[in-house]
Amino acid sequence: MKYTEEDLEQELKTKEYEYGFYTEIESETFAKGLNEDVVRAISLKKNEPKWMTDWRIEAFRVWEKMTEPDWANVNYEKPKFQDIAYYSAPKKKPKLNSLDEVDPELLDTFKRLGISLDEQKKLANVAVDIVMDSVSVATTFKKTLGEKGIIFMPISEAIQEHPELVRKYLGTVVPTTDNFYAALNSAVFSDGSFCYIPKGVRCPMELSTYFRINEGGTGQFERTLVVADKGSYVSYLEGCTAPSRDENQLHAAVVELIAMDDAEIKYSTVQNWYPGDKNGKGGVYNFVTKRGLCETNAKISWTQVETGSAITWKYPSCILKGNNSVGEFYSIAVTNHFQQADTGTKMIHLGKNTRSTIISKGISAGHSQNSYRGLVQINSRAENARNFSQCDSLLMGNACGAHTFPYIEVKNKSAQIEHEATTSKIGEEQLFYCNQRGIDTEKAIALIVNGFSKEVLNKLPMEFAVEAQKLLEISLEGSVG
Amino acid sequence: MLKINNLHASIDEKSILKGLNLEVKAGEVHAIMGPNGAGKSTLANIIAGKEDYEVTDGIIELNGEDISELAPEERAHNGVFLSFQYPVEIPGVSVTNFIKTAINETRKAKGLEDMPAKDMLKMIREKSELLEIDRKFLSRSLNEGFSGGEKKRNEIFQMAMLEPKLAILDETDSGLDIDALRIVANGVNKLKSKDNAVIVITHYQRLLDYIIPDFVHVLYDGKIVKSGDASLALELEAKGYDWIKQELV
Amino acid sequence: MELKEKILSSYVAFENGIDINSDVHEIRTQALETFEKLGFPTKKLEAWKYTSLNSVLKQDYSIFTNKGNAVEMADVKQYFIHDIDTYKVVFIDGKYSSFLSQTTHDTIDVCLMSSALNKAKYKPVIENYFNKVAKQDNLTSLNTAFATEGTYIHIPRNVEVEKPIQIINFTTGSEAATLVQPRNLIVVEENAHVQIIERNQSLTSNAVLSNIVTEVFADRNATVDYYKIQNDDENASLVDNTFVDQKSNSVVSVHTFSFGGNITRNNLNFYQNGEHIDSILKGITIIEGKQHVDHHTLVHHIEPNCESHQDYKGIFDDRSTGVFNGKVIVNKEAQKTNAYQQNNNVLISDKATINAKPQLEIFADDVKCSHGCTIGQLDTDALFYMQQRGIPIKEGKALLMYAFANTVLESVKIPEVKSRITKLIANKLGVNIGFDL
Repeated sequence: MKYTEEDLEQELKTKEYEYGFYTEIESETFAKGLNEDVVRAISLKKNEPKWMTDWRIEAFRVWEKMTEPDWANVNYEKPKFQDIAYYSAPKKKPKLNSLDEVDPELLDTFKRLGISLDEQKKLANVAVDIVMDSVSVATTFKKTLGEKGIIFMPISEAIQEHPELVRKYLGTVVPTTDNFYAALNSAVFSDGSFCYIPKGVRCPMELSTYFRINEGGTGQFERTLVVADKGSYVSYLEGCTAPSRDENQLHAAVVELIAMDDAEIKYSTVQNWYPGDKNGKGGVYNFVTKRGLCETNAKISWTQVETGSAITWKYPSCILKGNNSVGEFYSIAVTNHFQQADTGTKMIHLGKNTRSTIISKGISAGHSQNSYRGLVQINSRAENARNFSQCDSLLMGNACGAHTFPYIEVKNKSAQIEHEATTSKIGEEQLFYCNQRGIDTEKAIALIVNGFSKEVLNKLPMEFAVEAQKLLEISLEGSVG
Repeated sequence: MLKINNLHASIDEKSILKGLNLEVKAGEVHAIMGPNGAGKSTLANIIAGKEDYEVTDGIIELNGEDISELAPEERAHNGVFLSFQYPVEIPGVSVTNFIKTAINETRKAKGLEDMPAKDMLKMIREKSELLEIDRKFLSRSLNEGFSGGEKKRNEIFQMAMLEPKLAILDETDSGLDIDALRIVANGVNKLKSKDNAVIVITHYQRLLDYIIPDFVHVLYDGKIVKSGDASLALELEAKGYDWIKQELV
Repeated sequence: MELKEKILSSYVAFENGIDINSDVHEIRTQALETFEKLGFPTKKLEAWKYTSLNSVLKQDYSIFTNKGNAVEMADVKQYFIHDIDTYKVVFIDGKYSSFLSQTTHDTIDVCLMSSALNKAKYKPVIENYFNKVAKQDNLTSLNTAFATEGTYIHIPRNVEVEKPIQIINFTTGSEAATLVQPRNLIVVEENAHVQIIERNQSLTSNAVLSNIVTEVFADRNATVDYYKIQNDDENASLVDNTFVDQKSNSVVSVHTFSFGGNITRNNLNFYQNGEHIDSILKGITIIEGKQHVDHHTLVHHIEPNCESHQDYKGIFDDRSTGVFNGKVIVNKEAQKTNAYQQNNNVLISDKATINAKPQLEIFADDVKCSHGCTIGQLDTDALFYMQQRGIPIKEGKALLMYAFANTVLESVKIPEVKSRITKLIANKLGVNIGFDL
């Protein structure tokens, strides 16, 4: 069947989100609301051991006493927590027979992102033919990892198969009491990933949630735990550049990373949840707690490209506990239309000779608000700690805002801290120069934005970086008149 | 190739060009000289289509076609190249990436496919040798932290890559030491052919020792007040611009 | 009794001594309500995250001192910039000291707030300016509620005041801990120019808490240079609330030199209500012991084509704590704003702490805003170099620190103030060298 531009346009006008969005889904769903019984029931459904049930109950009791934070520079209507169904699994997306049934806007974006036809099918939940059987890919994948002793599986499975590991590390970096959303996540998390890299093993491939086996729907309360044992290395990719249409308004994920002595974890995220429409209606609330712990000589590097969600509230952090440990945070946050992002990092220097680097690039367009919020804390015993932070904002148009809230707390005289922030716009002169060389304005903006974001894009794994560049371009479309 | 007739232009209601006429044919090199503030850079920017200026009267034709309604990039696609007096910096965008984008956008406008990477590489190699440009230089952010000489050499490098029909060199000699000047001029001379034309805008005669013009025009108070051959440039060098002013009075 | 309760219950007694039928008093009673509602700031407030007043508020302050104690000029001369001719407005325990002062009504008004509040001829100015730019927050409201005395300066159009004006508040507090709340109003009309030097000095070992509010209005083309010298006794704490309202083409600079005191909190707020305004905020902080200095600045760019320049340097020894919280807001309409903020700190001791929060909130796209913040140490290579050339380590360090702070000193326009600050720095660093670099 032919699918012309006009067809596409027509569909865009009339059938927005017809598929996969409001469709009745065959699933087992608990009644709305949250109480101890619901938490118990979730645990029971998942056939969890008693320690896990108790852990969830404890988290729930803490959460009940907490109030939702409101210090972030975002405005939104607070979710009604008793109006949410906390268990609905296995969440099957409707199976479609061919790409013709997929939301054309989604397909259009896929196309522009350069995602292959087969991948498009997989992402849009179209039955995939034998040519690219996800299961077979996954199997090969699993075999390679298994040979190295690497564990990579849904956390629900890990609770059954490796309870000793999960129990030992779960909640050690982000305790249940950490914050409102972390407590909520601990009580009700549906699923997520668990990853363990044994001593001295260098994980031979990028671990990606995209290839995860038996994926049961990412769910709104995702829990990720990555443990890199002594001297190991892993690069972990989360998310996907393709737009994620999820009917859950509230997302409260928790990610915990543990890098033991001499280990290194590289964690890259592309977040492209539904940002709401051009008038600011709808969109995902993305309230995430991400934190990593570095032991001696360990290194954790967070890289994120945030283009989606209506509200983002996210501070991937590093606790530099061990001497000589290193924390890095590289971020690109793009907001357009009515999106609001409050994102940044915390670098907590506890050990001697610890180093951290923060590079944050905020790009605001439309009516959006984009805030960097970060903390660099040098504790009194953190001799010779070093931090370099750079926060650059690019504003496009005159209806958006860019904000920088860096907190710097230093209790050791040997610390060296440098923080720089700049705000700029795309200069008329720059545009004219590009135009003169034959590059039109839209392309010129994409070029300049990519240049602005380059230091961060360079930190992404190669194939991700190319997609992320295109994603930036698409996210900013229509932002300049 | 280029025909300008009775061109009037202003910026912020201040009149700068006041009835300028100029005709440039393929294969020719024209030099436009004149004192500061005469309107030399304005002329260059208007030909390239900068929006800040308002053309109040007159016609600009390129190959018989009126280009005054075209966007800057469309003029570029038609073969107009302006070597900027002050090339802008674009942080994070490498010289290679920039020139690749410029070439492919121009090709796209002409309905051509992107240039194959192999050909692009070959061309970059050739042209960078011509301008004695170090390969490392190509990976640096466009014009960021470039010395004056590097910026100008980069402009001529881009000109070499884009192979324009009409190249306008706006004060390309300013800020160049003698070696850089020789390299740049040498590059321009090698790119010259019977099919393209060059307009050299300069304050001094120096560059014209290396790029020999067929015609020299004196721009003064928004108009071309005197035209001649290469010897006029020498005369200006010797006498300064004051005698022109006096002659006009 | 808690200080807040004590203050609230003393209000009736306060009202007995003043004209309660005036318009100003209505402002006062409203302010008292605000203070009653908000109370003293606690660390739970974002704006007070790094500064706790708890220890200061525990003191049993006497709220009204009956009579200013006599002070001999010879005893206090050192606190004046005495090597140049100046106007002087001097208070002792919140009461005006005519003996130490030199005021004027000749063309300009340099006089007492109490006169301005009570006399009919000042009424239009008071109505237009009093409490108009001051924020309605907790401590400013507390000051407003009891606002009766302070310095009143009014410079009419086109007048360039020929000599600086010194404002000095002495506290003797012989009987007990003292709370003083001076209230200053400075109105500088079109094209006028004035220089002001302000100092607070405790002459007692009893605790002193000064909660000062100063409102500065700079009309079009006006120039105001304000120097605040904070080198108080170790038992004296200060909350200095300064609010500056600027109109088009005005230039206002405030330099704050913080060397002394117990807890010092500077709330310095600039509002740019016009175009082509320049606001300059600079400071040097050198503290030791358990001293605490908090610079809380706000520059609000409201209209287009304005500039602001902030430059704060801090040197922290022993267990001292420094805070820099600088906020720049650029409104949507404030295109072509240039806002610069620089904060550099050196920690000398293992126990010293610095907390910095340089914020930017930008709503306009065609602006140049930047901030830089560094925390570091003195350059050991430079120290070694100096030692090798025979300069002892202590003097070498002092030289480096002086050089570090010098960008702030460079813009001080009164040479006598500059040399006084230089001496204070030498003193503070315990060296006897002239920093004629």
